[in-house]
Amino acid sequence: MSNVRTNEEWLDDLRASGAVQEAAIADLRNLLLRTVLFFFSRNLGDLGGLARDETLQLAEDCAQDALIAVMNHLSDFRGDSKFTTWAYKFAVNIALMTARRERWKGVSLDELSFSDDSALFEWMREDKSRGLVPDQSAMQSEVGETIREVIERDLTDKQRQILIMMVFNEVPMDEVVRRLGTNRNAIYKLLHDARRKLKSGLQERGFEVGETLALFSAQG
Amino acid sequence: MKSESFENWLRNIYKTQDEEISCTECFDLVSRFVELEVSGESAAAKMPQLKQHLDQCRACRDEYGTLRELRRLEDEGEAPSVDDLRNSIR
Repeated sequence: MSNVRTNEEWLDDLRASGAVQEAAIADLRNLLLRTVLFFFSRNLGDLGGLARDETLQLAEDCAQDALIAVMNHLSDFRGDSKFTTWAYKFAVNIALMTARRERWKGVSLDELSFSDDSALFEWMREDKSRGLVPDQSAMQSEVGETIREVIERDLTDKQRQILIMMVFNEVPMDEVVRRLGTNRNAIYKLLHDARRKLKSGLQERGFEVGETLALFSAQG
Repeated sequence: MKSESFENWLRNIYKTQDEEISCTECFDLVSRFVELEVSGESAAAKMPQLKQHLDQCRACRDEYGTLRELRRLEDEGEAPSVDDLRNSIR
């Protein structure tokens, strides 16, 4: 009866032995499988290369991995949410990483890192002066140039590579993590540092937030 | 990059803080955040750093979105069964 356990009962039963533990594990695994299938059903585009049976088997594998992760982290549960909500996040995390890997598995690292400077700033170079007075149009171009300058001059090679992959080529973080053999925290830090430099660069040139966003949100 | 994506990216640049929590810290805290939301409390006001990370990090936001939706359906007694979900996959 998975849905009627309290947090304490979950922990007690999962740490018990024999039939009590087996029943709790079976209930938990079923909930984790449901979580994985819930994610898969909403992200079928990522799994388009798989037959239905393969997708269902992948869900079973993810649920099993999530079960192991939850059991290994039981002592981390602080009781500040329902136990099941806490457990679901392991399943969602594994399901998301698996789905993204399937989606991008045929694409090479070179393609993910591809940066064609002309395409990179294509959108910024388009005529977006519609609805803007000449001064605003000129300022919009200056913002674009400032961003380009910061990216080319102030970012490290690694920051630039990650920015191109994730922001311009829209590669999911977990695929970048997997291809570069790193972790989410490291990638997030690189992007965070890049954003800080871009923010400073824009502000140093007098482009404050409201005015700058208004320039670009005015586009039809 | 599409214009909407560019605008969102620009907004996120301006929302950048000197100190931001990591993805690991977000993972640790997100179930609490979802629980607050489902119970009708202002999760963003109580956990502003987490909200800020979710605004900046697509991977964590995607996970949070799924978790929140599943938790909400569960709270309303509308969470789909394993069999329903299997049947929805073609």
